[in-house]
Amino acid sequence: MKILLAEDDFASRKFMDKQLSRYGECDVMVDGEEAVDAFMMALEDGEPYDLACLDVMMPVMDGYQVLKAIRDIEAQKGIPKSKRVKVIMTTALNDERNVKMAFELGCEAYAGKPIDVEKFEKVLKKLGLI
Amino acid sequence: MAEDLLKKEEMDDTEELLEEDDSQKGMFMTFQIGKEFFGISISYVNEIIAMQPIAAIPEVDDYIKGLINLRGKIIPVIDVRTRFKMEPCEYTDRTCIIVIDVKTTMIGLIVEKLADVDTIAEDSIAPPPSLGRKEHEHNKYVYGLAKTEDNVTLLLDPEKLIKQDDLVAVVEESRKEEQS
Amino acid sequence: MAEEFNTESMLDMFLYESGQLLEKLEGIILEKQDADCFDDADINEIFRIMHTIKGSSGVLMYENITKVTHKLEDVFYYLRESHPDDVPHMELVEKVLAVSDFVTGELDKLKNGDTPDGDEKQLVEDLDEFLGRLKGEIKKQGIEMPQANRHVEPTQFYITPVAGDDSHFYRISIHYRSDTQMSNLRAYSATYALKEVAEDLLYTPDDILSNEASADVIVAEGFHMLLQTKSSKEEVIALIDSSEAEEINFDELTKEEYGNALGEFGREDAVPAPQPVEAAKSDEKEAKKEGPKPGDYVVKTKEAGKGKTLAKNQPKQQSIISVNVEKMDALMDLIGELVIAEAVVLQNPDLKVPGLELSNFQKASGQLSKITTELQEVIMSMRMMPLTNVFQKMRRIVFDVSRKLGKDIELEVIGENTEVDKNIIEHITDPLMHLVRNSVDHGIEENAEDRTSIGKPAKGKITLEAKNEGGKVYISVKDDGKGLNKEKLYQKALEKGVIENKPMSEFSEKEIFRFITLPGFSTKEEVTEYSGRGVGMDVVVKNIQSISGRLDISSVEFEGSEMTLVIPLTLAIINGIVVQVGNSPFVIETASIKEFVRVGEDSLIQEPSGEEYIVLRGECFPFIRLNEKYDLPDSVNKIEEGIIVVLEHEGSQVCVLIDKLLQEQEIVVKPIPSYVRKVKGLSGCTQLGDGSIALILDIAGLLMHDGERR
Repeated sequence: MKILLAEDDFASRKFMDKQLSRYGECDVMVDGEEAVDAFMMALEDGEPYDLACLDVMMPVMDGYQVLKAIRDIEAQKGIPKSKRVKVIMTTALNDERNVKMAFELGCEAYAGKPIDVEKFEKVLKKLGLI
Repeated sequence: MAEDLLKKEEMDDTEELLEEDDSQKGMFMTFQIGKEFFGISISYVNEIIAMQPIAAIPEVDDYIKGLINLRGKIIPVIDVRTRFKMEPCEYTDRTCIIVIDVKTTMIGLIVEKLADVDTIAEDSIAPPPSLGRKEHEHNKYVYGLAKTEDNVTLLLDPEKLIKQDDLVAVVEESRKEEQS
Repeated sequence: MAEEFNTESMLDMFLYESGQLLEKLEGIILEKQDADCFDDADINEIFRIMHTIKGSSGVLMYENITKVTHKLEDVFYYLRESHPDDVPHMELVEKVLAVSDFVTGELDKLKNGDTPDGDEKQLVEDLDEFLGRLKGEIKKQGIEMPQANRHVEPTQFYITPVAGDDSHFYRISIHYRSDTQMSNLRAYSATYALKEVAEDLLYTPDDILSNEASADVIVAEGFHMLLQTKSSKEEVIALIDSSEAEEINFDELTKEEYGNALGEFGREDAVPAPQPVEAAKSDEKEAKKEGPKPGDYVVKTKEAGKGKTLAKNQPKQQSIISVNVEKMDALMDLIGELVIAEAVVLQNPDLKVPGLELSNFQKASGQLSKITTELQEVIMSMRMMPLTNVFQKMRRIVFDVSRKLGKDIELEVIGENTEVDKNIIEHITDPLMHLVRNSVDHGIEENAEDRTSIGKPAKGKITLEAKNEGGKVYISVKDDGKGLNKEKLYQKALEKGVIENKPMSEFSEKEIFRFITLPGFSTKEEVTEYSGRGVGMDVVVKNIQSISGRLDISSVEFEGSEMTLVIPLTLAIINGIVVQVGNSPFVIETASIKEFVRVGEDSLIQEPSGEEYIVLRGECFPFIRLNEKYDLPDSVNKIEEGIIVVLEHEGSQVCVLIDKLLQEQEIVVKPIPSYVRKVKGLSGCTQLGDGSIALILDIAGLLMHDGERR
């Protein structure tokens, strides 16, 4: 599986990278714009990502903007819902309104930090990624 | 573990506070009762107020004189003289009330006459006289003697001053209640 | 964590919503427990409640809750679609309650930060079995089987952050020796090493690599880090290079402290923010009003040299705010002070100069009094809460206990919207629970035959009623059971030795009933699971008395009993009459005063023992001379010179001799400082208009004292 990880905080990035690398190849980006670029590039190369883990608070573009951009690009390219990249937001912002908004923007899961690794894996299973 | 650490930290804090406040260290509020001088560490003292009308409370120990109204706060006052089982004497315009704060309990002490605020060096404080001498009721509240040039000041432990007998009495009371 | 402007977290929201739904569910169930079946509206509602909880628990991945609610949703789906007859209603009610209890239990675990690990298997099996029978019934009744309930698996998930049970929070400060070279690099290597184990790491100064000047700051002020990690203190210490370090301070923090500390480190994303940062950033305000939007959380570049800053959410405009009870209490106290201060001004002796023209002052003071009175009323009403929730609990108790005991009991609830001060609600829940349990257990007859044989309906009835009358709240628990047997109570009292061998005729009916409130007195021979442990009624009475209430008992044998709690609407301010004895003022609560009379010596009866009685209109009352009792000098001693106050409490009366009446006024009750041991007959003290202190008489205490003396 091909994974995109966008996270600006070094400690979190290292932690997530370690976790995610068990499931597949993991590309690590440090800001929102880079993440969108990487997503675009992978799409054009015909090797799209299966999973994107997006931090919310990032420089240049925040995670919600990245999510929206990704979904917009997918819609524009006519990618069917089932083929869309699965997106998991990872953030310490756990209030209900943020979660709702992320769901409306079309993420598959929303993981509060610190991340519950067990549940995270469960979600990956439910999403059919592993 | 966290709690232990925290507690320790708190303690350090308070110590620091006391140390920082050098101005209060070794300072005692001294007052006169009869012919003797007594001292209370100034860290317990909240304020000194003039004598006020006291509302008596029935059925309590005679040294508890009653309640006073300290700007809306109702606090009990005790007469130190009566507390030491000395003959009561008239309150005069020199009589005043030292409001002390002992472990969050606010209590007023009625004293005949304020003397001064003195700095007493730690090494000049001697242990209290031997327990054998029972002639003075107040000895049990004294934790040290401080000699100055012309007199001796008895240093009082406010916690004992306001507690002791009462505690004993409370325990006895509750025992009685249990038995009945 | 209750930062006012912090919106609720996803988990809190789930707990809150589910809690509300479950409360609603119990309400429906208990209301309809005695009906033959649920009506369509109920079925729809229950279905909807289960569906909602199932959905949200699915998103949050609490699978046991999801499974259980899913099953019950299925049951109600079939009920809704097929309307089968002959549904075993009672069994269904039990099933719903079982599910509700299960989910409540799991929610409680979540609230305590535990994992909801309840085993749902048995419950799911039970429900499956029930559902199977239900389907069979539907087939038998020839109703077309509806399409299976389609469940949509949630496609979006919320991963709750780990509670941090195994995470530790540390604050680490390193002070380097003053001659340390390039301390910023040392600091960096420390952070780098910690990043291996960190779940979160913040440090200050935070520009250690880019700004060489930071080395000086570090030497001067030390290098401070906040670390969240699963590693132990020892492991963390081992990671830090301690050469050159003069001192390393290592404190473990709680999660809350850590959250607070984050603010100090210039980060505001985590829970509490010490001060709202909105004010300065007017350009962002517009965006915030409507809730978050993509782009709200772009992290500004660090050029400013300070830590990360981000936009905060503005709280939604709400018409209801929740206020800390302590703040309410503080406000209440302040208003109490204001009432006193007002009296001090309006009754100021300076105003009593003869010939002073005061008409404008009087007008203004009238206005002031009006406002303070209104202010008092408003704060009182803010503290008022309906009894609904308390009564709801009682429904559940009647249901549970009567089922367990195999008694058929109907509960009628009247006046559940009656409002009482919040403090009081806390105090009456337990006593009321006890009374209700007693009624079910002891009040209603064991067997239905015992009832039908004397012409009562087989079904027992308990009435729970609340009403508000004359500044007091009456809450009564009435049953139509066997009532209290005076003879039995009297015998029992003799056995227990609580009365000396006085004949039964010496006690009034009320007095005999009151035996049951004595400690260790329980009339039931065997002890049951629900009542009759011999502790209880005395505790009930104590609790009620602690809020200046009382318990009235009335009963007719074979017809039933009624226990009534009479409690004041509020505790803090009472209407009182100030009287004087000797030089001391006392306050008597107006409500307990029956009358004031002047009598002559001839009304006084003195017993050889010294006991005194007053005869009024042929009735004989115990007599207390306050001046003697409390040893007050300079007071009226001749009975015809003073005033007799007749006081009543719980049906007993007592006459008290006072010198004179001073005034009637609203009294702010304050406790007597705990340093002074409790004096019997005094319940508190207060400050009068002139600043002096008056003691408040406690009638119950006076009576008790008097009784002991006898």
